[in-house]
Amino acid sequence: MSFFGFDPAIPRGGGHPDKAPGFGAAPDPFAGISQHQGTGYEDEDAIDFDDTYDGLGDQLDETNDDLNDATFGGIEATTSTLSKPVGKDFDFHGQTAKVSNVINEEQFRYNRQHVSRKPQNLMKQTRPFKTGYEAYENPDYIPDLQVDVSSKGQTRTASGNVQASQSSSILSAVPQAAPAAAPARKMMSLEEVETAMRAQPKKSASVLTTQGRQQSQTMTYPNIPSAHAQHPLNVQSQSSAPVNLPPQQLSYQRASQNRVPLIPQQVLQAELPGQSVPNTARPGDAPQAQQRSQMIQQSSSQESAPHRQILQNPKRQSAQLAPRPPEPPLPPPQQQPRVFTTGAMGASQQLPIITHPQQLMQLSEEDRNAFLLEDAKRAKRNHKIYMLSRNNGLMTPQDKNFITRIQLQQLMTATGNTVEQDPDAVLSEDFYYQVTSQIRGGARQNPQQPLSNFAQTYLFQTGSRHGGPGRRQNRGGDNHMQRMEMQVQRAVEAAKAKPKNKQLVIEGSLGKISFSNAKTPKPLLNIKRNDSHDRPQSAGRQATSRKVLPAKLSISGRKSILRNIEAVYSTLMKMEDHERRLPAAPANEEQMSVAHHAWQEVMESLGQKLWDDLKVMDPIVEESSILHPFIAFLSYPKGKKAIPRIFRLLDEEKRLTILTMIVVHLNILDVIQNVQPGASGFRPSLVAREEVELFSQTVMPSLFAYVNEAPLQIVIGLLGLIVSRADMQVVLRTKVGLNILTMLLSRAELVKQSQNPSDQEWNQWVNLYNRFFDVIEPMLGIIFPGSVHDGQEMYVWQFLAATGIGANPDQQQRLVVAVKDRVMETVVQSKTLPPDMASQRLADVNLFMRAIGLDVDLLG
Amino acid sequence: MADAGDGDAAPVSEPLELVRLSLDEVVFVKLRGDRELKGRLHAYDSHCNLVLGDVEETIYVVEEDDEDDEAVKTIKKQSEMLFVRVGDSVVLISPQAPG
Repeated sequence: MSFFGFDPAIPRGGGHPDKAPGFGAAPDPFAGISQHQGTGYEDEDAIDFDDTYDGLGDQLDETNDDLNDATFGGIEATTSTLSKPVGKDFDFHGQTAKVSNVINEEQFRYNRQHVSRKPQNLMKQTRPFKTGYEAYENPDYIPDLQVDVSSKGQTRTASGNVQASQSSSILSAVPQAAPAAAPARKMMSLEEVETAMRAQPKKSASVLTTQGRQQSQTMTYPNIPSAHAQHPLNVQSQSSAPVNLPPQQLSYQRASQNRVPLIPQQVLQAELPGQSVPNTARPGDAPQAQQRSQMIQQSSSQESAPHRQILQNPKRQSAQLAPRPPEPPLPPPQQQPRVFTTGAMGASQQLPIITHPQQLMQLSEEDRNAFLLEDAKRAKRNHKIYMLSRNNGLMTPQDKNFITRIQLQQLMTATGNTVEQDPDAVLSEDFYYQVTSQIRGGARQNPQQPLSNFAQTYLFQTGSRHGGPGRRQNRGGDNHMQRMEMQVQRAVEAAKAKPKNKQLVIEGSLGKISFSNAKTPKPLLNIKRNDSHDRPQSAGRQATSRKVLPAKLSISGRKSILRNIEAVYSTLMKMEDHERRLPAAPANEEQMSVAHHAWQEVMESLGQKLWDDLKVMDPIVEESSILHPFIAFLSYPKGKKAIPRIFRLLDEEKRLTILTMIVVHLNILDVIQNVQPGASGFRPSLVAREEVELFSQTVMPSLFAYVNEAPLQIVIGLLGLIVSRADMQVVLRTKVGLNILTMLLSRAELVKQSQNPSDQEWNQWVNLYNRFFDVIEPMLGIIFPGSVHDGQEMYVWQFLAATGIGANPDQQQRLVVAVKDRVMETVVQSKTLPPDMASQRLADVNLFMRAIGLDVDLLG
Repeated sequence: MADAGDGDAAPVSEPLELVRLSLDEVVFVKLRGDRELKGRLHAYDSHCNLVLGDVEETIYVVEEDDEDDEAVKTIKKQSEMLFVRVGDSVVLISPQAPG
């Protein structure tokens, strides 16, 4: 659409901007203008505005518009004080209120303006109004003169005043776009205008943006008639005056027809931002302003009162005061009904309009001068609005909704599915955070707490609010937000539902289209798992590896072990996950719910699967070069780390089985085999030592916990297995081996002391012990790792102590003899060490010495 | 649960399943920009973002001296924990067989 293009091609009453697509929420003021221009009075009178313009506007020196403020201030200053230089500190209202000879002042000002401005120039000023306003790029802003109607209504008592307000109501257009905003915006009193004008220079151009709306409203004023027709319902209750005064309005209407042309620039009063002008203290000031305007009215003999009331800029008033030939601006029959309906709004809005160029010609020079000034101002403002809103309406509300929806949708998926109430789903979003916060005992009890709050913020709170029958009717901004929220909700739901069919097969196409989102990335490879194939394959692989690579673990063997480990972990995590899903305990035994049973079943099946995955029960192949799968499992750090978690989920029998497996394979455990000291002071590799450390930290505690509860019979059985099967020379020289032996020996001693085992059992143990002692006695010299100086032999002393406790005096004697040298060495060496280290070493030794009834101190 | 995924003992259900086998193992990672990493694989994801522990990072820099001789200089860095963020830069992940 052409901007202010006076496009006559648009038929009268053409599409209203509000109904145009994309302008539902924020109507484009320009659309209205162009259309209204087309439907203006030019059409009726068959006179084209363009035709009547003489192009004087081109000669206007528009660069001086920057100084409009100063100019106005100067005018007012001179009007009021006559002597002061032009300044921005004028106090027009205050001065003039005191001055009694208002008429003289007006005359003075009248003359002054007459002299200073020549009609030719003034005529030229109108040109910008018509043309493209290129000269008005300078974003000076033009204040808005609006004030509280209520204050006016209270203060005005004279009929003239009332008429004024009504006339303004008649003439002002109520922009449909701002029905809500309009009530708050009223005509400004004179004082307020002055205040605002004084404040104006300080304001930055940025204020403009906030005023875009206001300005857009004022732009529509020239189109009053049609605007009225479109806004019959905009009656505002704020000003009581219009309701009572239809006759006056009528009279005014006639008067205006006869005498007063409607001047657009009056409509376009300088716009001061309503927000910048304090609303306080207006009531008191308003009367003065009215006084002045009344006086002005008196000064002009023929002017009708109403206009002056509205004209608060003195200059404009003077312009209006000029005698004008009768004009037919507003056809009364049309206007009158509208006047009533729009009464209050009109009071808040504005003034007569020049819709016909002829009117301008008929004005006095003063009037024209003022009119053209205003016209220029308005053009400038319009241009500014245009610059600001050039891209208005590019996006339809639907577009905006769409964008917002996308944004919120991404927000949702990024934060997790807030609609999802399944705690597991919540857990899966940030599992480790949940675990950590639970471990740390974080403040939030419920893992869903923040999420659901989030969800409420964006989705749930709105749900109940709409859907009501009245929803269609008030589609204000708030409602708009609600609708958007609804849309977002729907979009999120749709997004949730979408992954269900991840692939779209378009008929006739060769391929599939897979969808993906952040949570379920598009699978690039879709290899179908064939369970029936896998088993034989891996079995075959194991078979081949058995043949080909006897000594070391083959690569595939290693892979299969790793695979076993991963399978164990998968099952393990499923079980742990399943544990969390344990349904709430039933109220009583009878109510043992189906859910509980189902949970139990799943748990058991998972437990069985875990057991299978561990492959503990795989047959033990004697003399096989292949490590038993479980022992291989244990040879990996992650396998060791899994043991504590697995043990927790296993029953006693299975724990014993695992313990037995470990004991049986003791001398081929990596933690024993890889740390065998070589002939010449071999030190196990760092990796091997780390493995030992890890084993001691992970596997041993589990075994120890079990053995500590085990009856003597099991201890006997385990020790018997070690003695009969394991290579004691290998086992004894490792920390893990000694620890296990210590564990068993000390447990037997504890059982003996606390549980009084039966004689038969005890005898069985003693026999086994004797056998064991006989086996280890010759090796006692080699159980110490490295030299005395290493200081890493506490576990050896622990083992010796455990052995010594259970030994008979004879065995103790032999024990002492076997390790006597080491004891002495340690004692001697400790004397060279710092006190704390020395005492540590001695304490280790003493552990053993006390077990056999001695003390290091005796060795002195 | 986080990585329980669908590791139902299927040997290869997806390529990264193989990487999974190297979890908690020492791996050799080749990156773009002449960088190599050797460290214990703690975590990975579908983008090949990696978290490695006890990493030794080797950067190969070619330095040209005056006679246009090119000397390959290696810069080694040791880090307790390393997070390879841009999965794109991972060229190769190889398990470091023990021994």
